[in-house]
Amino acid sequence: MAIDNRNLWPDLAPSRAGAGAQAADEVLRLDDLRISVHGGAATAVRGVSLRVRPGEIVGLVGESGSGKTLTCRAILGVLPPGCAVERGTVSFGGVDVTSLSRRDWERLHGSHLGAVFQDPASYLNPVLTVGGQLAEVLRVKLGLGRRAAHSRALELFEAVGLRQPERVFHQIPAELSGGMLQRVMIAIAISCDPRLLVADEPTTALDVTIQAEVLELLQRLRDERGLAVLFVSHDLAVITQLCDRIVVFYAGEIVESGPAGEITRRPRHPYTQALLRVASVGDFRRRELEVIAGQPPRVGEDITGCRFAARCPVAVPECGAGPIRSVPVGDRHQVRCVHAARAVVTS
Amino acid sequence: MTDAPAAPDSVAAPPLLAVESVDVTLGRGWRANQVLSGVDLDVWPGEIVGLVGETGSGKTTLARTVVGLVHPRRGRILFEGLPISALRRGALRAQRRRGYVQLVFQDPLRSLDPDLTVAEIVAEGLRIRGETDRGEIRQRVTSALEKVGLDATVLERTPGQISGGQRQRVSIARALAVEPRLLICDEPVSALDASTRNYVLRLLEELRTSLGLAIVIISHDLSSLAGIADRIVVLYRGRIVEDGPVDRVFATPRHPYTALLMASAPSVQHDRPFSPQQLRRSGSDPALQPGPGGCVFAVRCPFAAEVCATQPALATIGERWSVACHRHEEWSELAQTAIRQEGPAHAR
Repeated sequence: MAIDNRNLWPDLAPSRAGAGAQAADEVLRLDDLRISVHGGAATAVRGVSLRVRPGEIVGLVGESGSGKTLTCRAILGVLPPGCAVERGTVSFGGVDVTSLSRRDWERLHGSHLGAVFQDPASYLNPVLTVGGQLAEVLRVKLGLGRRAAHSRALELFEAVGLRQPERVFHQIPAELSGGMLQRVMIAIAISCDPRLLVADEPTTALDVTIQAEVLELLQRLRDERGLAVLFVSHDLAVITQLCDRIVVFYAGEIVESGPAGEITRRPRHPYTQALLRVASVGDFRRRELEVIAGQPPRVGEDITGCRFAARCPVAVPECGAGPIRSVPVGDRHQVRCVHAARAVVTS
Repeated sequence: MTDAPAAPDSVAAPPLLAVESVDVTLGRGWRANQVLSGVDLDVWPGEIVGLVGETGSGKTTLARTVVGLVHPRRGRILFEGLPISALRRGALRAQRRRGYVQLVFQDPLRSLDPDLTVAEIVAEGLRIRGETDRGEIRQRVTSALEKVGLDATVLERTPGQISGGQRQRVSIARALAVEPRLLICDEPVSALDASTRNYVLRLLEELRTSLGLAIVIISHDLSSLAGIADRIVVLYRGRIVEDGPVDRVFATPRHPYTALLMASAPSVQHDRPFSPQQLRRSGSDPALQPGPGGCVFAVRCPFAAEVCATQPALATIGERWSVACHRHEEWSELAQTAIRQEGPAHAR
């Protein structure tokens, strides 16, 4: 079911000159996104730029309060009260959506964008059958008839690996396990064939065995449908397992981004290196449990230079001298660190 | 493992905690649901036991049974040889006030009273025990907080005003204030970032060493348990399916469910003896439906055979190592053969 998504909202003009050329191979593009919180009193996300290509799984990783979830919500147009996009753009296929009206967002949700979150039960109506809720989306968004919506819903349940779709269709959320509910949410999210699925900690509340199954499902959806996925997690192990590219957030900034293999084998930012040391290695051998000394800065705290410097084992005076630029250190591999910048200059 | 003080040298010394063939049923009548079946578990002083299993496996119920919040329908629980599950009324209250067994709850934000200050929360157990001397209480609260690495600045804050890691440390300090001998931690780190998680786990290990505490850690994160536990106990649907020394169990898991848990754990590295797919019953394979009394894992087990129509008992297979599987010697070879037939495991 291929839908040319741009035709669904022809009245929205492409925002930037030159964006059109790249738009074809970009599902999502963030440029210098800044998000303010507490009604503009503080900046929680500072200058985030990233791209997601079709069929690519991109993982955002960072500690709680690092801004990864806020970034996600800005992409979905559902920032919590008191938060606003201060600067920068979010664009889908070359069209800026930062100042869309509610109506336009509604057209975008489903057809361009699907979303799943940590707690699937709280996004479903507890007294309606899950099948009915999926069919409703199909009828409203795609204009399907009652019968067509029903059979399409069963197909979707099957596609997300629910074993007895006909039975699940008539069940209410309380009758399903957490893993099954998350599959239902994924079925709803992909029901209108979106190009991008935003998944914010979708497996955090699940058992490891179920988590592994959901991660496999996301990979399969990517392979079969060319779905791009933006996956958010605080668990670097989950991110490396699933993603093609990893974006590391620290205190509201992207400190490193690059191909998953590069990031895990040759991390260049001291924070990424530290995260890898504390992450679950999964070899099940007894090892020293390491910690990252110190605390991350408070949300919105004003710091000149590198925001990780206070906790960094290799910090030098330069780190606090001025804003640190993100420099390329490899193929699509960027690092925001004075040491990496210096290495680039000398080479 | 040089640092395991757990090995029972003298057979005569009773374990600190002994759970003996405990059955627990929650609900009544047609709603009755057997949550634990024939659970046997010993915990020795100074030992860290990792209790793992998925949602609904009975981990939390086992913890609640041990502290006396749930009564077993069958079997008994002994603490230092005293059958605490048989205590009622006054004797039970007296036992609870002594505070030898303390439970650290899963979600500190929900289990700590949001209106009380940290000082009040930590002092509550002491007050219940009958401590009245204010100076004494103050001093014990400060020392309990010190043990978990918190200073006096948090004393007057409420749980909402401190970070997640600090909150979890406060709930550990609350448990420590009454000087328990056994600490049961229900998912103490599942809500924390990796660095904070390691900090709290390290703290528990230090407490074991400095206070000689026995600690039971309930978790679904096997990898972090590998860092601190001496023993791993795996629960599946209310039954213990494997119980053994952490290094042995993690090197060669003998129950297919333990192996599935390990294979499913996310990891930064990609080398695994088995992939989760090899340890799962495939969708096309009709699920085996063993009648009542069959092995609890058979429905999900790709290696289930006719013998699995009866529930295997937890059998000793090595030193302090036991497993409840009829095919514990065969399945890993079967899985290996499957690899050879189907080519290498799905790897990325």
